[in-house]
Amino acid sequence: MAHDHNPLLDPQRLDRRSLLTGILAMVGGVAIAPIARAMQAGMDPGYTVEKPYMTDDQRKLTAAVSERIIPTTDTPGAIAAGVPAFIEMMLSEWYWQDERDLVMGGLTAINAFAQTTYGKPFAGATPVQQDAILTLAMDKQLTGAPADAFEHLRQMVIFGYYSSEIGCTIERVYLPVPGRYDGAYPYADVNRVFSS
Amino acid sequence: MSDYEFDAIVIGSGVSGGWAAKELTEKGMKVLMLDRGRMVEHGTDYPFEGTGAWEQPYRGDTPPALTESDYYASRYGGAGQTAVKDFMNNDRLNPYAIKDGPEFRWVRPGIVGGKSITWGRVSLRFGPQDFTANGQDGHGVDWPIRYDDIAPWYSYVEAYAGIAGSKEGLTHLPDGEFQPPHPMNVAEIWAKERLEKAIPGRKLIPTRVANMTEDKPEQGRSRCQSRSQCNRGCSFGAYFSTQAVTLPAARATNKLTLLADQVVTSLEYDPTTKKVTGVRTIDANTKVAKTYRSRIVFLCASAMASNQILLNSKLEGSDKSFANASGALGRYIMDHPMLTVFSGNLPQGVHADLIEYGRKPTGVYIPRFRNIDGQDPDADFVRGYGCQGGGHRDVANATGFGASMKEGLRKYGAWSVGFNVFGECLPYLDNTITLHPDKVDRFGVPQALFNVTYRDNERKMMTDAKVQGEKMMKAAGLVDVYAEERPHIPGDSIHEMGGACMGKDPRTSVTNKWNQLHDAQNVFVTDGSALSSTSCVNPSLTFMAFTARAADYAVKQVKAGVI
Repeated sequence: MAHDHNPLLDPQRLDRRSLLTGILAMVGGVAIAPIARAMQAGMDPGYTVEKPYMTDDQRKLTAAVSERIIPTTDTPGAIAAGVPAFIEMMLSEWYWQDERDLVMGGLTAINAFAQTTYGKPFAGATPVQQDAILTLAMDKQLTGAPADAFEHLRQMVIFGYYSSEIGCTIERVYLPVPGRYDGAYPYADVNRVFSS
Repeated sequence: MSDYEFDAIVIGSGVSGGWAAKELTEKGMKVLMLDRGRMVEHGTDYPFEGTGAWEQPYRGDTPPALTESDYYASRYGGAGQTAVKDFMNNDRLNPYAIKDGPEFRWVRPGIVGGKSITWGRVSLRFGPQDFTANGQDGHGVDWPIRYDDIAPWYSYVEAYAGIAGSKEGLTHLPDGEFQPPHPMNVAEIWAKERLEKAIPGRKLIPTRVANMTEDKPEQGRSRCQSRSQCNRGCSFGAYFSTQAVTLPAARATNKLTLLADQVVTSLEYDPTTKKVTGVRTIDANTKVAKTYRSRIVFLCASAMASNQILLNSKLEGSDKSFANASGALGRYIMDHPMLTVFSGNLPQGVHADLIEYGRKPTGVYIPRFRNIDGQDPDADFVRGYGCQGGGHRDVANATGFGASMKEGLRKYGAWSVGFNVFGECLPYLDNTITLHPDKVDRFGVPQALFNVTYRDNERKMMTDAKVQGEKMMKAAGLVDVYAEERPHIPGDSIHEMGGACMGKDPRTSVTNKWNQLHDAQNVFVTDGSALSSTSCVNPSLTFMAFTARAADYAVKQVKAGVI
């Protein structure tokens, strides 16, 4: 059953990962490992959606919304970090039904508003238009959207991003084995947040 | 040494069982250690050690539907983390009668090593007042020993296990054999300096923990690497666990046989010799039943499981346990109420340029300050509580979305300092574990049924803790002070104790001052079930000390031909 499935023990995934390492080695050993992984990360969110939950249009919508919530800046954004697939996986395998309805209800309302107002789906709208719609959703002014839908979606994107390999190792500073503890460490020495 | 296949059988392999196996084998005994859980080998069986969130199923959070169906009790011990779940009991497969009594959260492990892999590692000594309290205020059974009887054994286990802590010279929280403490961070130092100045006598100290700050090369163990992911298992052996510490020592003697997946259902008892003659088991995988025999038995199955085994060990032709001539077996069940919490922030701008590097596996501790020198005039309860917490600096709370939010999440919020309280629970005769009359588990063992509630003294104590906590946070110069008392559910702190309490009088207690059953002198019960009161401090270190002491006594008795 899906809940008992441990992706880390999936031999196919291990194969895929070793394959990926091989490709990167061929491309050239110059790339810093996390950056190199980031280049591939859109292809490798760290799991496979085993029970597809969304239509292709819903996937495009989820990707567009995620990327506006955490955009690409000087570091990769939500799409590169695999957040859309993470959201689909969580909806499919983790969430209770009422939470699924909440999130999907919000996404549906966002898309419907884009269609009505701008004559195109959210994914096809300009960034300015997209931000205007998301601001309405955040302010609970979006027709047809469950009141808590945007905050829920926002939290999913935040969690998905900052728990991804890109979020942990590129956007934040990853210390798998710190080796010591310093309770008076200058923030200026890192200017970032440590992930755990 | 004996006519038996084994000199000793140790039931359970957690904190207590591991120590029993180590001590007994090192003293020359041939030991069989049984555990109902699956085998977990040090290092190789810690699959999530050192993994990032993205490498864990569901980014580390067990799906709630699975938690509800299979880990409804062990969720309170960490089963909600996918990296911990497989160390815990599957409550669907191995249930207890949770619905048939007041709520009791029985958090069990499902592995060799027991809770020693996932424990909180806080290692504090009971003080002299803890061993006299029952006799003085009349609750429970007077302890048959005093602090001085156990003190050398605390030293013995501390030195080997590796406890980091500061010497403070407090009578009621005695110092031990410590490695240097984990350093306090700037927020903890800030709070300490102000609290101790504002309230003379009050202490805020580094929490004493079984996470080493110095290597123990002779044991193949390294100091803590500041990952603070202890409950996934630690290949460095930096914290005390059976796997890292006591099991290697026992194995090194070549006198240990360890069998996993062996469910001990009951003990076989001979009323003529007044001894236990066998340990009845069922293999968890094959369901094959077998009885193992030995000269002595160390019952270390964990406090409540040891009670269950004893309750299920009936006199022939009777429904009464052989170990219950006193009628005290399964009584005086205790835990620490723990859900009074309080916290505060450092004022804005204080240490704003500093953050934490690395992750400390512990924090700070405010030792008991209530009813220390007699009854405080303003306390409407007896005994006291300790406060466990720490200072941290979390990521700033960023609102909105987009690039500005992403940038905002690169900053830290204010330093905060927070605590939760562990209160002493009085021993009540009618706080019980019994066997359910009808419900059995898949091995045919009657399910444990708990009737354990907190009473007036615990409620008043925890309410006082909220008042005092708020006062202390303000005295420590913190702002945005917050204090709350949440519902205390027995079992929550996973410090369940009692049921086979020690005492001088066989008519009112189950074990004697050597952890020996009054009703079977070749059985030693050395886990939390034998404790006559709980103190307010975390108890695992005390289980270690009692186990080592009982093992020393037991071997001497065997060698003298007494048992």
